[in-house]
Amino acid sequence: MRLPLLSALLALVMTPVHAADISIEEYGYPLSNPFEATIASTPPELRAEVPADEDIDQADYSLRMHPEREFTLPDNFWAVKRLTYRLARQPGAAPLIFIISGTGASYAAGKTESLKRLFYGAGYHVVQLSSPTSFDFIAAASRFATPGYSPEDAQDLYRVMQAVRAQQHDLPVTEFHLTGYSLGALNAAFVSQLDETRQSFNFKRVLLLNPPVNLYTSISNLNKLVQTRVEGIDSSTTFYELILEKLTRYYRQQGVIDLDAAMLFDFQQSPLRLSDEQMAMLIGSVFRFSSADIAFTSDLINRRGLIVPPGYSIDEGTSLEPFFRRALLCDFDCYLTEQLIPMWRARQDGGGLPQMNQQVSLYALEDYLRGNPKIAVMHNADDLILGPGDLGFLRRTFGERMTLYPRGGHCGNLDYRVNARDMLEFFRG
Amino acid sequence: MKIRGTVALLALLTGSAHAQTTTPDEDGFTHPLRTLEFNPGLDQREFERATFDALDIHDPWESLNRRMYYFNYRLDQWVMLPAVRGYRYVTPRIVRTGVSNFFNNLGDIPTLFNSLAQLKGERAMNTTARLLFNTVIGIGGIWDPATRMGLPRHREDFGQTLGFYGVPHGPYLILPALGPSNLRDTTGQVMDFAVERQVDYFSYSEASGGEFSLTALRLIDLRHSTSLRYGQLNSPFEYEKVRYIYTRARELQIEE
Repeated sequence: MRLPLLSALLALVMTPVHAADISIEEYGYPLSNPFEATIASTPPELRAEVPADEDIDQADYSLRMHPEREFTLPDNFWAVKRLTYRLARQPGAAPLIFIISGTGASYAAGKTESLKRLFYGAGYHVVQLSSPTSFDFIAAASRFATPGYSPEDAQDLYRVMQAVRAQQHDLPVTEFHLTGYSLGALNAAFVSQLDETRQSFNFKRVLLLNPPVNLYTSISNLNKLVQTRVEGIDSSTTFYELILEKLTRYYRQQGVIDLDAAMLFDFQQSPLRLSDEQMAMLIGSVFRFSSADIAFTSDLINRRGLIVPPGYSIDEGTSLEPFFRRALLCDFDCYLTEQLIPMWRARQDGGGLPQMNQQVSLYALEDYLRGNPKIAVMHNADDLILGPGDLGFLRRTFGERMTLYPRGGHCGNLDYRVNARDMLEFFRG
Repeated sequence: MKIRGTVALLALLTGSAHAQTTTPDEDGFTHPLRTLEFNPGLDQREFERATFDALDIHDPWESLNRRMYYFNYRLDQWVMLPAVRGYRYVTPRIVRTGVSNFFNNLGDIPTLFNSLAQLKGERAMNTTARLLFNTVIGIGGIWDPATRMGLPRHREDFGQTLGFYGVPHGPYLILPALGPSNLRDTTGQVMDFAVERQVDYFSYSEASGGEFSLTALRLIDLRHSTSLRYGQLNSPFEYEKVRYIYTRARELQIEE
């Protein structure tokens, strides 16, 4: 009775569905739970070796992409009237790589920083860019300040990249590369296609890390994460209280704790560990905060009056809390229906949601991606932003140029040394 | 073949996580969301409820606080951060570490005082030992041998002591240059400052009272060792988020 079960299990593990796939034991990434991987990423001792921040010659620069915004944006937006980016420069001539951050993330986000360290250590100049959905990018660099329509986002990004090149004209660059993670990977694919006609960079290689395939599937998955059934919440204890309560109890048991990755692993081994539902809720909450920021900023700049009444005077002392509360009610679906789709209809003479989804997802680039040896994709079998059929699309489109890791959740394994090695190998060519 | 299989099986069985390794479909996709238990109507409002609840922090001086927040943001960008960059440029790493250790050692004095005031005997003894080792072996606190000897640094300030005895945090307050605080913690800071001056370990207070440069160095060191940046949360609602984080972090510190 036990034997057939064992062999069935073995067969399951031993026969990867496709010959080129990496098996779990070959891969060695320890986190089998996709939610844990997404939150805690890679255990520190398994990460790739990268240079320390003090050994990186880097600085932040800013661009005036839309001088008129300095007058149209309220005073308390002064910090984002110019778009900031970060450049890490090698001492001599070197290839340059652009990194596009994921949903809502700025150029200085943790994952962008860790990719920078990896590529800088391998001898690249590195330019870190905020996502087109990030607060600073919407305010300073987005022409229509309504991100989400991939072809337009790519044009905004392309203008920023050209401005970076102009500002850093004395930087000796041998060739250009491009990468992005999560939504930034989808952006990178559209930017690469745009570059085929504009030819400002002639990217030598482009790598997509955990891109959404069907953008609407990804959005729906993320929206759904805050709908998990979480134990232990009631009228007096909210979800955050519950998590903080657990952390406090853990704190008391351990005496001293540092809130870092290593602590998260230990915490998840303890009886106080978070359940999958709680972790899902936490991940979903992060994206809800992103959608609130996007909905608010886009509405304010375009004066749509959905969140901020048009003409409402805002200065540095004005409380934004009432708008924050209103924006928090707006998830990605709400932003899509209330702001993005109406603008797309007006500008592109578009129809309904399925049509737009086709235009903003990787499907729109299928032919371009299929025939292009310079573009590759890396993804995870347990990525939370994917739906049924998405990996099949990637397999058909990219063929040999797709690497599928058996674990890692959403971008949890980017700093794992196997992934780091594969990335560098791809760009080395 | 067999060995590899056993290894894989072991890996499967010892995996601590309780999400079942779902069977990959024909594309290799494992459907991670399938194992989750969802609210049947998908209409739960827990995210909204929890976040609204977190926004409820007593902040009657919000307008003034916001202006101070932006003032500090500018001060940070135009004065503090350039000063830190200059400091990092002119001093080798070992000197910077020595400076941080020195001021941390000074900071152990109010920690000792407040550990005693909260009747935390073990922590008070730990801090006394730290002060002795670091001052004597670490030459006035420039090195930190105590941490290597297994005596970790704790921070206890008078704001925590007040909180320990049940004093509520009072209205949220943004202090010029120093940033987020509240009425209770501001009172605490004044008190800790007074303690440091009273004790006057190595006549530091006397020297810094006379010499502006020592106080400036202390401020630069504080900024150098704080990795937070204004704008780091990259959100139009950074003020609200920082307010929540500060308030909750203090509550956790008091409970510790």
